[in-house]
Amino acid sequence: MAKEIGADRLGDFYKEGSLVRKRREWRGLADTMYDYSRWLKIMMTLGKFVMKPRNVKAMFRYRWMANYLAVPMMVDRHTQGLRGEYLRICHEEQDLVIDDVAKLLDSLFRGDRRIGNDKKFSDKVVLVDENEMTAVMMGFPTLKCLSRETPSTYVSVLLNQYAACHYIDVAQEYGLAGDVCPMPEAEAGVSIDDDAPVLGACAIQCNTTCDGSLLGNGVISQRLEKEDGIPVFQLAAPLRHREDDVQEYAAQEIRNAIAFIEKHTGVKWDWKAYFECAKRVNYATECRQEWLEMNRTPYPQVFGSNLALYTETNYMAICGRVAAFEKADRKITKLARQAYAKKKMAAKEYRHRAIVWGVQSHYYMDFLVWLLNCWGIVPLTDMLSMVSTKKLVTEDTPENREQAIYDMAWLTENMIMRNRTHGGYKVLLDELWEFVEMFNADMVILWEHMSCKALDGMHGLFEEKAREKGIPLVWVSHDLFDPRIISRQGVRDQINSFMRTVWNEEPIDPSLEVLPDEKSW
Amino acid sequence: MSVFLHVIKIIVIVIAALFALTFTVYFFNLDMKLTAAIYPWLNKQYDKVKRDQHL
Repeated sequence: MAKEIGADRLGDFYKEGSLVRKRREWRGLADTMYDYSRWLKIMMTLGKFVMKPRNVKAMFRYRWMANYLAVPMMVDRHTQGLRGEYLRICHEEQDLVIDDVAKLLDSLFRGDRRIGNDKKFSDKVVLVDENEMTAVMMGFPTLKCLSRETPSTYVSVLLNQYAACHYIDVAQEYGLAGDVCPMPEAEAGVSIDDDAPVLGACAIQCNTTCDGSLLGNGVISQRLEKEDGIPVFQLAAPLRHREDDVQEYAAQEIRNAIAFIEKHTGVKWDWKAYFECAKRVNYATECRQEWLEMNRTPYPQVFGSNLALYTETNYMAICGRVAAFEKADRKITKLARQAYAKKKMAAKEYRHRAIVWGVQSHYYMDFLVWLLNCWGIVPLTDMLSMVSTKKLVTEDTPENREQAIYDMAWLTENMIMRNRTHGGYKVLLDELWEFVEMFNADMVILWEHMSCKALDGMHGLFEEKAREKGIPLVWVSHDLFDPRIISRQGVRDQINSFMRTVWNEEPIDPSLEVLPDEKSW
Repeated sequence: MSVFLHVIKIIVIVIAALFALTFTVYFFNLDMKLTAAIYPWLNKQYDKVKRDQHL
């Protein structure tokens, strides 16, 4: 039990065969009391949630709801070893995301025909995909933009590594291919298993990134439209998003989506609300750019999962629509500036500066914290955090209203993941090496999501370029939502071997090298 | 005055007891250990739910 960073053997908290850890960390009096107070807050959020009988009913109806028992543990995984400002930044983000997801669940069950069955509320709901830019909802402040896939699959796997396995199996039992991305496959599995809340005036689906995504959307929309009577709009954003000749088409898709929502909800687009949201998007971009600037220096502050998870939520799912995230941006930036001024470090030793590229293993999101604690590798930034930095127009003028349609189209085209996995090799390959230089990185960690065909085809090109640049590159294979294919230890072993053989190094915390977390949440 | 002090004393004791209880739960991860015990039971419950499972 120690106050100093890196003094604890973090691997000793794990217990063979157990879902959970032996105990929580002692981080010194001030940080432990802070962590305890945030734990109390999370317990209050969860307590408030279960006070409503409809939420308890949903807990017993939907299989994926059991994963929410593990919420405090998810936070513990991401705060592992952290002290001071880093601990506070992590809690600012995680606690806000938890609060936001609790509200999302509450809204879903309120409108769900099986649970709350509030018809009036349901008529104000527009369903969206999990992996979808919510820019088209920025001008509908009176409507509820809800994603069923976010709590049923995306967040569930963050909470419990095995959360999606049941749904992947269900999808494959019904003949869906086993080699597509397990994320859309699990989402389709939830629909096939009749385990998705049924509500909404209409739905907007997006051609996110891949064949799996299109397959999943097809299965889900069939049930929505033909059985539940919920009309679905397919927002087909161009994949060649850096080309000028696709932008008019992309803008027209946004106009069509807005018209579709207006038609099915009877609510008109509100430009004042849109421009308010656009200001918040710009502020989030400014903050993110400032954090990335700090990460270029020897004293990075907002990095690893603190950067990745929050960016995914704030950039795409929130997209300026929730004022609380602006407040969090401000607090995080203040903490980061404070730590930067004092030249603080999140671990006792920084040995390597890494750019993490590709699509991360979702069942092991806290791997980025492990890299830091075990091997002293600082994950400066990751592919999914390198999103659009374009400033949106914020003044309400006739010209800007037209430009705003193009801005929303740009954001939709540049949603997380698809802005890199599609759009040509420049955005996926060339820009990686530009970032390596920009961030002064000395290694590249390349996720190899084995079911992602968009990335698999580029394997040789990455290696060729790494040799040319003389930058050590390590491939880390995983199967995104399915730890049965490659376990968390399987993921760690790839780094362990690389660090010993290529860098000839020993771990900073040897207790973390092999962890008995195969059965753990 | 003595009644007032007595009330204050009771409040302090209650707060201290609550703190001791919740901090013990927090530090020894008892909340997660309890939910880990509930989890298998919940999964059995989900197997009993009637579903219209189809493509």
